[in-house]
Amino acid sequence: MASHDPSIPSQVPQEIAGLLSRRDVLRRASILSLGGLVLSALPVADRILATVDPAEAAVDLADGTLQAVADTLIPGRRTTVTDLGHEIHPKAIAGVHPEPGAVEADALAVFHDPLIGFDALEPAFLAEVQARSLQRGGQFIDLPFQRRVAVCLDGLDPGNPSVIVWEAAVAVAFAAFIAAASQINATIDTASGYQVMGYPGTAPNGYADYSYRQKLSRELTATGSLP
Amino acid sequence: MAERVDVCIVGSGFGGSISAYRLAELYRAAGQTPSIMVLERGRRHQHTDFRQSMDLGHLSRIYGLVQGQGAQIVVGDGVGGGSNFYLAASLRAPSETFERRDHRPDDGSDRRMWPSQLSRATLNPYYSRVEAALRVQKPTWKQVAKAGGLWAKTLDAAGHTCDRVPLAIDLGRCIQARWCHTGCIYGAKNSVITNYLAAAEAYGVQVRPNSQAELIAQSSARPYRYLLTVSEIDNDGESPTRQPTGREFQIECKVLILSAGAMGNPPLLMRSRPALPSLSSQTGKNLGINGDHIAAVDYDEQKVKDVLGLPGYGQIYKGNHISTMSYDWWVDKPGNAGDGKRFTLQEIYLSPLAHTLYDDGRSSQAMPSFWGLQKKAALSTFNNHIEVLAMVEDTHDGEFLAPPPSGSHVRPNAGPLGVGPFKYELSEQSVRVREAADAAIREVVERSGLARFMKLTFRNAFASHPLGGCRMAESKDLGVVDHRGEVFDNEGLFCIDSSAIPTSLGVNPSLTISAVSERSVAQLIDRAADYGLPAKPANFAPAVPGQSLGPHTTPVRSSSDAAIDAKVRSYG
Repeated sequence: MASHDPSIPSQVPQEIAGLLSRRDVLRRASILSLGGLVLSALPVADRILATVDPAEAAVDLADGTLQAVADTLIPGRRTTVTDLGHEIHPKAIAGVHPEPGAVEADALAVFHDPLIGFDALEPAFLAEVQARSLQRGGQFIDLPFQRRVAVCLDGLDPGNPSVIVWEAAVAVAFAAFIAAASQINATIDTASGYQVMGYPGTAPNGYADYSYRQKLSRELTATGSLP
Repeated sequence: MAERVDVCIVGSGFGGSISAYRLAELYRAAGQTPSIMVLERGRRHQHTDFRQSMDLGHLSRIYGLVQGQGAQIVVGDGVGGGSNFYLAASLRAPSETFERRDHRPDDGSDRRMWPSQLSRATLNPYYSRVEAALRVQKPTWKQVAKAGGLWAKTLDAAGHTCDRVPLAIDLGRCIQARWCHTGCIYGAKNSVITNYLAAAEAYGVQVRPNSQAELIAQSSARPYRYLLTVSEIDNDGESPTRQPTGREFQIECKVLILSAGAMGNPPLLMRSRPALPSLSSQTGKNLGINGDHIAAVDYDEQKVKDVLGLPGYGQIYKGNHISTMSYDWWVDKPGNAGDGKRFTLQEIYLSPLAHTLYDDGRSSQAMPSFWGLQKKAALSTFNNHIEVLAMVEDTHDGEFLAPPPSGSHVRPNAGPLGVGPFKYELSEQSVRVREAADAAIREVVERSGLARFMKLTFRNAFASHPLGGCRMAESKDLGVVDHRGEVFDNEGLFCIDSSAIPTSLGVNPSLTISAVSERSVAQLIDRAADYGLPAKPANFAPAVPGQSLGPHTTPVRSSSDAAIDAKVRSYG
């Protein structure tokens, strides 16, 4: 399990600048058919991110924004640490649902897991998130829940040229929440997504009471296969 | 200097393992040690390597999830191929499947889609052979999972029939944990590593993991026909890259059998086209997904009691992944007039992750339906869901594009996600028959407010049953291989696996892929001497491969589920 180290101080502008080598983004954009949208959004994102006070949070703004996106996709209760004990950006969770959501289920760890590779998409994704958020009144992490939803609806619109990147973000949030992708042999006691779903997880002893133990329908064939 | 063997087999799933075992039998019957090598790009697994876990480390070891344009397709990675992760439903394809004539308008004149030599009748002996080898059992009603029982009772209440599904599972050993999808940790599921391939190795077949076939060339050193370039893949150790190490080797062989599957064979052949100029122009075309179309159903537990008279549900997590299915929407469309309109409806449990994909269309336009608060509400009733797999008669709508320089798809890192060089766009017919399946499920489950139909979302096709790409056909202008699986105009080169299957099947494909593979290799054995292999002895009789579980976990069945069920209810 790769995990994000929350103790690294926030260095958002430098981090973004480092990740956003123009040639790199151009290469990725052409691979992913991102089109001009993301590229045109980059200066805006740089400007927004440059204004952040690094001392504000233990989780930097880039990660906080990823957490806020995850919280919009699978909303959850307000809490300060994830299942795996990682910190949560204080503004990330909108708190619109009483049970754990994707952030608590370690969506950020899955975003950063080298086996997923979302890090390669992150700069372009965040730039687009912030550009779209600006049109809705501010940085994504400062938007109220309904406006966050509106930003994600725009991003996930099939007509958005970079919709595939947004769908990757959805897949990450769901992998964290539904599949407990950051835990080995997760169970309902360790994975908050499983708790919400009512899914026991790993079941090394299987189940004894697994069948209604009665004939429940007429059958068309004798063997199970049609002739 | 190339290593020389008589037979080289690329891939160790159903097709490759069946080919290896039957050819090994031939060598034994002829009193010779098999000169057969099986190459597998993935690593070697034991049951004890598997985990009941969807953590990324485990998924990366066993699966590839290949994203193409318009489809995402799951492929097995490792010795045993897809058989390690299949859900073991083992059904014979209905007769109508082989008689279909509803090919696409741009796909030749009116004709039967399968070669004339293949029909349900001609395949029946081979189906029997596979059922014996994979130890297929039909569960009793007392062994049917609650999810499957609920589906059966739902259909029954609506006036439909529902059949139990035969399984390649040792039902005495299975403890009904519903964790087939990440590899059975008990050896209860009959993967080829417990039968065909284990028996082939016991006969002396060489299996070489971490070996990815890259390029086929012709050999001029008769009786050797093909020269295969192979990359070593870094799969083992603490943090494998799962990329080629840079080390390569060559295999020279008399017979080359491609069993890398519908996602593996087409790119390999296409990349090798300069050395194989007589390949059919159909190579890489007609990729299908067996008509896979999934949906979910969200039951009202009180209605389960009141309407169906069952003692509740709330237990999607128990029992075999597949246990019941209905043929009612298949058999009411007889003859060729029904072609392309039939489907079957099967209760299936894919994995929790598949529940990402359901519940489209419930929201107003301004709100999301497959994420957000509504999706969260849908997930919170997870344990009252079932999933339904419609297997529809669609057209094979996919096509491979230019192959990558190495392997079958680009794997950008050591994780399970890859990018595949293919596109997949559903034809009008493929869409219509899926809509008909959705309507049928909805009608059955929404009677009396029993349950809510949850439609598939997302723009992509999601599939774990890729078929075709090197389809068998009557002639080279229509397909890539003949009815025996031999590549047209390329003597000694075969595709024996899912890539040769020309249509969706109406049932889960593993048994049919295996039966067609048994037939292809039987035809090869009949003419073995022509290829420079041992001649088939007069008394040659294929046997049932022995079973070998290898090192395994001994299952301990739960004495009582009460504590787990109570915990699930307290959380959910």
